[in-house]
Amino acid sequence: MPIISMRRLKGRIRLSGKDTLIKLLVGAVALVLFLVAWQLFADSANTEYLPTPIEVLNAFVDSFSTKDPSSGVTMGKSIESSLSRFILGTFLAIGLAIPLGLAMGFFPLANAFGKPLIEIFRPIPPIAWVPFLFIVAGVIWGPVITIFLGVFFPVLSNVMFGASSVEPQLIDAAKTMGARKPTLFMRVVMPYTIPYLMTGIRIGLGIGWMCIVAAEMIGTRGGGVGAFILNNANIGRYDYMFAGMVMIAILGIVTVESASYIERRVSRWMGAKR
Amino acid sequence: MIALSIRDLVKSFPREVEGDLMAIKDFSLDVEEGEFVCILGPSGCGKTTLLRMIAGLDAPTKGEILVMGNTVRGPGSDRGMVFQEFALFPWRTVRRNIEFGLEIRRVKPEERRKISSHYIELVGLAGFEDAHPYELSGGMKQRVGIARALANDPKVLLMDEPFGALDAQTRNLMQKELLRIWKETRKTVIFITHSVDEACFLADRLVIMTTRPGTIKEVFPITWERPRDRASVEFAALRKRILVELESEVVSGPQRT
Repeated sequence: MPIISMRRLKGRIRLSGKDTLIKLLVGAVALVLFLVAWQLFADSANTEYLPTPIEVLNAFVDSFSTKDPSSGVTMGKSIESSLSRFILGTFLAIGLAIPLGLAMGFFPLANAFGKPLIEIFRPIPPIAWVPFLFIVAGVIWGPVITIFLGVFFPVLSNVMFGASSVEPQLIDAAKTMGARKPTLFMRVVMPYTIPYLMTGIRIGLGIGWMCIVAAEMIGTRGGGVGAFILNNANIGRYDYMFAGMVMIAILGIVTVESASYIERRVSRWMGAKR
Repeated sequence: MIALSIRDLVKSFPREVEGDLMAIKDFSLDVEEGEFVCILGPSGCGKTTLLRMIAGLDAPTKGEILVMGNTVRGPGSDRGMVFQEFALFPWRTVRRNIEFGLEIRRVKPEERRKISSHYIELVGLAGFEDAHPYELSGGMKQRVGIARALANDPKVLLMDEPFGALDAQTRNLMQKELLRIWKETRKTVIFITHSVDEACFLADRLVIMTTRPGTIKEVFPITWERPRDRASVEFAALRKRILVELESEVVSGPQRT
């Protein structure tokens, strides 16, 4: 089933300034409570497997200046490896999913051709590909292709759905003004699909982060934040392991939130706010 | 000069089980250049199908449609269409909606701007050039729809229940506005409606269609001066006569062929 954007609907419910402030405060309280609970629990458990938040913070800061003993690189370098693969995989996925999705959404024959293939591959979680990909594609391209798979399908589904759901009246209107097939495609179908594309990208990016961490863990020789987490777990540096998890969370939030922001801006610019 | 000529038009839709559905049968009509014709009929009588065939969006099963003597073989910029649900491009501003047809016809940007400004002014949208459709009221949206159809300078303006989605007051206002725009542009208008009141207020000639298969039941020329007074005795009498004609159709119901 195609994934439809709920965000566009939600965008209409605008909170007043005061409500927003209260919500932010409540959220902050939850965060503080969580940290306190974590601290208390770690203190009482007193096990090396669960460091306290303060220890994790120290390890986090430290990891940028000291080299990881197992891989010999700093956190900065790990982020660089992960991010570059992430960006490469994401761009490849988006670049391929857009033309395929448009074609399959708009041309019934392209749909009939592509659909069976897509339906076979879609249910396979990208992570299930990882062992195979490491054998044939190696430690660098393996994770890239894993991300590619994670981003590709949500973008494809959404673009396809967008292109197939263009209101027939808009097509008719364009035709009565003299538009032929190529023009219809360029000036009606494509712009109509852009908000759907943005939704697909946002969903795909979220899945993409899960994929890269898993992929880097299986082939730790390639480095990256996923490898950083597993390496530190293996040598018993659990505070550093947690620091790696925090880093993944931050990177995930930054990418998905910036994608959401762009999605909202694009939706408004495209006049999709109804 | 005859702007639009419809000759022995037949439209049937193939159906698997019940046999073909005859939507329009033996429909013939000539429309003079500059004439305002309203087509009135019970719902499901094929009014919209008729208009879509004139627009070239659907092909007739039999018969012929000529616009300024040329047979209609598909959509073309000699006919402009206004839709009931506006059908504006949500991602385009008012101005860029109006310029859509001009862009397709590769009119130069300066020329496009001049033309769109003219029609923005004509339909009373000055100041809203850069607004997106979602920012406009229903009446304003349809002003864009009208300007967009006119920007291609079509010979015939096809209007498919253009005010059907508007509230009663806006509707009355838009009818007056349409007459003003029509007087200024002198277009040939084919206006589809199911409102007797609207048809009596607007038309030079009022064509009543039968239920399915739709054909012409009656034609009423209305030669009164405009603006017409809805409260006048003559208006009420005409409205009543037409209502009686229409009701006899609705009661007899559609026939299968």
